[in-house]
Amino acid sequence: MVSNVGRTSAEWLRYITSLPGVPGQEEAVARELLKAFGSVADRVEQDRMGSVYAWIQGDGKPPRPRALLAAHMDKIGFLVRAVEPGGYLRVTEVGGFDSRTLPGKEVLVHSSPPMVAVFATRPPHLQKKGEADRPIQLEDLYLDTGRPEREVKRKAPVGTMVTLRQSPIELLGDRLAAPGMDDRAGVVVMLRALELLASKRPSWDVVAVATVEEEFGAVCLGARTAAENLSPDLGIAIDVSHGDMPGAREGDTVPLGSGPALSIGGNIHPVVLEGLKRSAKALSMPYRVEPCPTGSGTDAMDIQISSSGVPTAVIGIPCRYMHTGVETVEPRDVDRCAHLLAHYLSELSPEWRAVEVLK
Amino acid sequence: MSANGAPKFREDILQEISNAPGVSGGEEAIRSILAEYARENVDSLEVDPMGSLVARIDPAPARPRAGAKSGRGSRNGGRRGPHVMLCAHMDEVGLMVTAVEKEGRLRFRRVGGIDPRILPGQVFRIGAEGIRGVVGALPPHLTPRAERDKVTPADDLYLDIGARSREEAEERVPVGTYAVFDTTYEAWGTTRKGKAFDDRAGCAVLASLIQRRPPVPVTAVWSVQEEVGLRGAAAAARRVQPDLAIVLEGTASGESPGAPPDEQYPFMGKGPALTVHDRTLMVHARLLDRIEETAKRHKVPTQWKRPGVGGTDAGRIAISGAGVPSAVVSVVCRYIHAPAAFLDVRDAQRTVTLIWHTLETLRKEWP
Repeated sequence: MVSNVGRTSAEWLRYITSLPGVPGQEEAVARELLKAFGSVADRVEQDRMGSVYAWIQGDGKPPRPRALLAAHMDKIGFLVRAVEPGGYLRVTEVGGFDSRTLPGKEVLVHSSPPMVAVFATRPPHLQKKGEADRPIQLEDLYLDTGRPEREVKRKAPVGTMVTLRQSPIELLGDRLAAPGMDDRAGVVVMLRALELLASKRPSWDVVAVATVEEEFGAVCLGARTAAENLSPDLGIAIDVSHGDMPGAREGDTVPLGSGPALSIGGNIHPVVLEGLKRSAKALSMPYRVEPCPTGSGTDAMDIQISSSGVPTAVIGIPCRYMHTGVETVEPRDVDRCAHLLAHYLSELSPEWRAVEVLK
Repeated sequence: MSANGAPKFREDILQEISNAPGVSGGEEAIRSILAEYARENVDSLEVDPMGSLVARIDPAPARPRAGAKSGRGSRNGGRRGPHVMLCAHMDEVGLMVTAVEKEGRLRFRRVGGIDPRILPGQVFRIGAEGIRGVVGALPPHLTPRAERDKVTPADDLYLDIGARSREEAEERVPVGTYAVFDTTYEAWGTTRKGKAFDDRAGCAVLASLIQRRPPVPVTAVWSVQEEVGLRGAAAAARRVQPDLAIVLEGTASGESPGAPPDEQYPFMGKGPALTVHDRTLMVHARLLDRIEETAKRHKVPTQWKRPGVGGTDAGRIAISGAGVPSAVVSVVCRYIHAPAAFLDVRDAQRTVTLIWHTLETLRKEWP
């Protein structure tokens, strides 16, 4: 195995985003993450739902309080829904795509071995009048593997995972575009943070959890079950925040390169938010406050209401074009999020609890 | 696939020119690759004033007969056969950068027929340097429901190269730079995947044909600017003044699940597609007959291209000068004018074989 020590955030991002793993089929990415976290954590394990836990033992006196970090390792994708005559595949989505970003895209059908396919398009020559004025819906789309029907039927039964196939693209300014930055970028933040904590021990125990099934939609399953297992005294989710883009309202986005986005709202415990801000200031690090009036839409939603309630916060990595094949982040932001997280955790007082005893 | 006595299809050339960029008006990279291949095999090689690559290659000299004239240009008795122009266009559809905004984003216009619906979320290689740019798309989370039922006009789209300012972007990508789909050639089974098979497939078929001295005098034209109005071939045909012309194309497959059967053809993998007519041309009937007969004799499977759709360089060549009998033979490709097209490499060899044997019969008799 290649040594993981000393990998830069950009190297981690390129590696971790390349792993498959739609909600419910995270086994392959989990295997790799067990190795990756194994190189930085004191102990790694996998729970019965498939989430990966990586432990950093605190140096406080036991029983030590426990901080849970959560970033989801699943990424949006598709499942084979039907094989049409001719060997064309129809798919259903897992997680929310805008079907308008799919025509012409290459995908990997995760058969064994995987097959390359493309979302078919009809050339303008063959289009009917007015056809180009209507957006293409997922129901209209199909995949072509360029292989005989018999082979496709054998290799890609209903339920086979399909993911966008796009190797990471290096843009100017070291920016990186790839599908699955949501939320593999968050997983990389946890990896980097654990690396830092291993040498600068916090008083708390820290458990970084790469969660399953965040994108499934009904419930952030991995985060909820991990929080029930671990009964943490604090939960911090690391996920992507919308980057600056034309067409988006100000207030809905944070610029790439502007550092961590710290969520504010009912899903966020104010004392934790203040602590994160203090750490950012101590590190002379830029940050933005991201308003989340009705919830953060992250693992923190489920962590907060697990067991008897958990104080939570969300650290956001600015990311453009979320839920497309070109999710774009700046590795510098990933670095900053990791340093912020490590600093905050290592400064946590062994006595602090969110429960206020008033009398 | 056996070449059946004809030259072998050069897949290496297809791979190289499929990967290289060459949007209409910016075909230099394709031209220099093809010129390098053609140089050794041809008798003369020129770049015409529009940028088309024109190669002349004569048949092997016939064994001299007593009293016969010899030397180049001797066309008496018709023994050399008619002068055939074989034409394939080098250009592909793509984008041109038209403005750099102050935040460093690039605005663009489409060059050739690209469905704007395939652009959001797509990746492009920009300029000779191949700088990557992504076409941004608002995340579904931030897109109002009503917007999702609309097609985003191409004019509202932009390329993001990661630049933070106009200055940074302009330094790397000046206005006027072309961009192509960021697609890499790949092979599995007999399927080949790549960009610009329309018409790099035809270009590679043509390059394969001139590996040997042909049965008749041939002028090979790799034309420019087909996708913006069949322009390069119009000028080239006037220069070449052939006796007849065959245009080699990568044409659109009609296959699609659920489409009515009369719209499903032509098929990838079922042989060269022969055109009867399209929007620009009625194919010369006797020439088409000859191609069909040749296909039957040499057991090359063929199929019809759907009549009435599309148009090719042949439309311009046919009406140049006093008129040029013209035909179109195509390798059927799925998903042309999109990032990743498919073709069946057997069809490419079959096209080489069919054209080669057609030239042989033309040497024996034409008209």
